[in-house]
Amino acid sequence: MEIVVLLKQVPATESLIEIADDGVSIKSDDIKWVINPYDEFAVEEALRIKEAHEGSVSILSVGSEKTVEAIRTALAMGADKGILVNVPDGDVYDGLTTARILSAVLKETPFDMIIAGQRAVDDDNFQVGPATAEFLNIPHISMVIKQEIANGKIKCHRTVEGGTAILETPLPVLFTTQRGINEPRYASLPGIMKAKKKPIDMKTITDIGLDPATVGKPLTKIVSLKTPPERKGGIMIEGDSAQAKAVKIVKILHEEAKVL
Amino acid sequence: MAQYIADRRDVDFVLHEQIQVEDLSKTELFADFNKKTVDMIVKEARNLAIKEILPTRELGDQEGCQFDNGKVTVPESFHKAFELLKDGEWVAMTEDPEWGGQGMPTTVALAASDYLVGANYAFMMYAGLTHGAGKLIESFGTQQQKRLFLNKMYSGEWTGTMLLTEPEAGSDVGALTTLAVKNDDGTYSITGNKIFISGGEHDLSENILHPVLARIEGAPEGSKGISLFLVPKIWVDDDGSLGEFNDVVCTGIEEKMGIHGNSTCSLMLGGKGKCRGMLLGEENKGMRAMFLMMNEARLLVGLQGLACASSAYMYAVDYARQRIQGKNLLQMMDKNASSVPIIQHPDVRRQLMMMKVYVEGIRSLLYYVGMCEDQVKICEDAEEKLTYQGIIDVLIPIAKGYVTDRAFEVCSHGVQVYGGYGYIKDYPMEQLLRDCRITMIYEGTNGIQAMDLLGRKLGLNKGKPVMDLLGEIQKSIAMAKDVQGLEDLAAKLEEIVDKLGKVALHMGMTAMSPNVMNAFAFAHPFMEVCGDVVMAWMLLWRAAIASKKLEEGAKKKDAAFYQGQIKSAEFFIYSIIPITVGKIKAILTTNGAAVDIDEKSFGG
Ligand SMILES: Cc1cc2nc3c(=O)[nH]c(=O)nc-3n(C[C@H](O)[C@H](O)[C@H](O)COP(=O)(O)OP(=O)(O)OC[C@H]3O[C@@H](n4cnc5c(N)ncnc54)[C@H](O)[C@@H]3O)c2cc1C
Repeated sequence: MEIVVLLKQVPATESLIEIADDGVSIKSDDIKWVINPYDEFAVEEALRIKEAHEGSVSILSVGSEKTVEAIRTALAMGADKGILVNVPDGDVYDGLTTARILSAVLKETPFDMIIAGQRAVDDDNFQVGPATAEFLNIPHISMVIKQEIANGKIKCHRTVEGGTAILETPLPVLFTTQRGINEPRYASLPGIMKAKKKPIDMKTITDIGLDPATVGKPLTKIVSLKTPPERKGGIMIEGDSAQAKAVKIVKILHEEAKVL
Repeated sequence: MAQYIADRRDVDFVLHEQIQVEDLSKTELFADFNKKTVDMIVKEARNLAIKEILPTRELGDQEGCQFDNGKVTVPESFHKAFELLKDGEWVAMTEDPEWGGQGMPTTVALAASDYLVGANYAFMMYAGLTHGAGKLIESFGTQQQKRLFLNKMYSGEWTGTMLLTEPEAGSDVGALTTLAVKNDDGTYSITGNKIFISGGEHDLSENILHPVLARIEGAPEGSKGISLFLVPKIWVDDDGSLGEFNDVVCTGIEEKMGIHGNSTCSLMLGGKGKCRGMLLGEENKGMRAMFLMMNEARLLVGLQGLACASSAYMYAVDYARQRIQGKNLLQMMDKNASSVPIIQHPDVRRQLMMMKVYVEGIRSLLYYVGMCEDQVKICEDAEEKLTYQGIIDVLIPIAKGYVTDRAFEVCSHGVQVYGGYGYIKDYPMEQLLRDCRITMIYEGTNGIQAMDLLGRKLGLNKGKPVMDLLGEIQKSIAMAKDVQGLEDLAAKLEEIVDKLGKVALHMGMTAMSPNVMNAFAFAHPFMEVCGDVVMAWMLLWRAAIASKKLEEGAKKKDAAFYQGQIKSAEFFIYSIIPITVGKIKAILTTNGAAVDIDEKSFGG
């Protein structure tokens, strides 16, 4: 089973995010970068599939030089090799562009299965996985919380509102992972030592047959970035009894919030 | 909360900019450990520590260990964390890869442990003792013993302990009475009672390997007659399979002030006459074997102290930035001035500074000792190797005794910065203070450390190691003298080093004179003076590097860090070293009041 995991490096959720002076990007100086948490599920799932069915796991990423660190972490978890489409630091692509780049690489890479996170936690676009599958003309299943592979087919449990749907498709397939599918392993010390010796194939946009002049032209444009309004402090409703408090709440909902 | 456990920038600074750990990768032994790998190891250790181990700290404190009819259960949350620690193979970081260790430099292992131990040291003791016990087997065991035990211990499948203390043998290990009688098959029957044994019984592993100090029947009294034995909880047959229960019975666990998650056990060995042990090393050479392991164990206790202090500092800084209380002193008279975060109050800043300088100085000292350990391993020149070993030997009582004294003070400042909330269980400070306290007692009390420094280390090899250490300090002074802005700090350190040389000579002479008791009454102040000087050295060394980096033009965030380094050196040398000068004065007087006072005059 040849498995490719699509992996994005994103700012750690603990980082303090500040909007840059241009108003359409974030300040990246003090940010710590990590593997997109949903992609960690994807790496873990790929490793489990490999452990059950043999084969190999490749990590594919579009990013700048610093993305190597995220790929190495996945290699330390147990993946076998990495491919980085190396683009200039600071270049931002929309989901479709990224998918176009990824699928250009994948057209030249043998695979039985592609796994990606359902979305990246930085831009929350949900697009890259499904779009890549479309470009490759293979089936895709999103938001998977469980999968079983048998006889060249995969059966996936996918979260839908209020329940789960079960879908089946022949391989090759692309599926995206949802929280709950697994608990990603931590890189082990021997894993870290081995990761250093595993190959990472660095490619440029030209190497994969695309034109750097046109590929970077996004179809969407970020007009402005804003931080969400700060949460205001709550109001404690005082009162001698539950009834008294209820009366006050109703009054507030009616007169101040005007929702009643 | 910006950062937990340890300031990442500080750990990186000591590793890469001060100690320059990457140089180790130029040697064959450590060739695998280039900067990228080191960074990845530390990053993953931090990741595991913060996500999985830190949440067990408070839980472990609340739940504690339970004793029931000879069985001990550890806090529930420890089980998963221990599995993850084993899965990641973090138990034997520095040990020989041939036996399942990771062959890592001690310096790198210390940085990883800074986070792992920092996350919950009561938990990490189970692993720490296992690696220590394994190391004893690696150093003194037969091939067969290594084959039987090492892989299982270094993987954490079986754990280890250290059995020295008995009711009548605490600081004076030589007074122990546990008895070993040789059997026909070459094993020894062991009988005796050990107390205060950390991790002596628990449910984290199927088997526990106890290195035990005992006296072979007929052996000389005192420490000359002590041998080291390996006593498994469950006997291990020659093919590696588990045999019968080896009559090591846990008779109870202690209720204690802190480290509730680590079981402190009373163990009865051979109560039914069925406890067998294997001799580790040679007969009557048990204490020598222990001494070989002591440096590492004491360094680890120093690290436990740092763990508490560093965590306390991270919390305190964060709290001081958040807690609004009182007006800024400069706006005291302004009725409309609003209240400010307490970090603006000079007295709070003084305490944060106190915490900062010790946490940083201690971190540098411990990593430096680690680096000396690594140098001993890679040095080809025999003389140089001895030099490094000598420096380690002199620094160990400081890295344990002085460090844990200061660490406890740092935690106390942490409680103070939190005010009343520092005393309340809802906040982490009171636990850190409680947990920290034992580090001043076990692994040789700090009084014993001070006596070791004065009685053994000062005169070691005719004083050469001490001179070598002073030589190293001089190197940093010379470096700092060339840095603009640090000239006066360097001069001040030079003065105090000169004074230290004199007081050391005085103490050495007094200890050999009829006034020996007075000298030892000042052993602890002397250790303090040595420690203060070592802190000042580490901080000036840091400041010298930081100044150079600033001159070369540092990024905004780095600049704040580097400026903070210069302020640390400034604070320590101008505000604490004058106190050291006073301590030196007291030592030079070597007044005998504490010795001469009649016992009755203590009253009571
Ligand atoms: C939580 C905990 C865990 C422990 N874990 C272990 C363990 O895993 N294995 C183990 O073997 N032991 C362990 N110990 C025991 C510990 O190492 C001893 O308690 C310690 O060495 C001190 O011995 P003691 O308690 O008998 O005190 P004592 O030796 O009675 O000392 C009492 C006081 O007298 C001072 N003193 C004693 N002798 C001298 C002297 N000659 N000169 C000057 N001052 C002196 C000491 O400094 C101390 O202040 C543990 C103890 C605790 C509390």
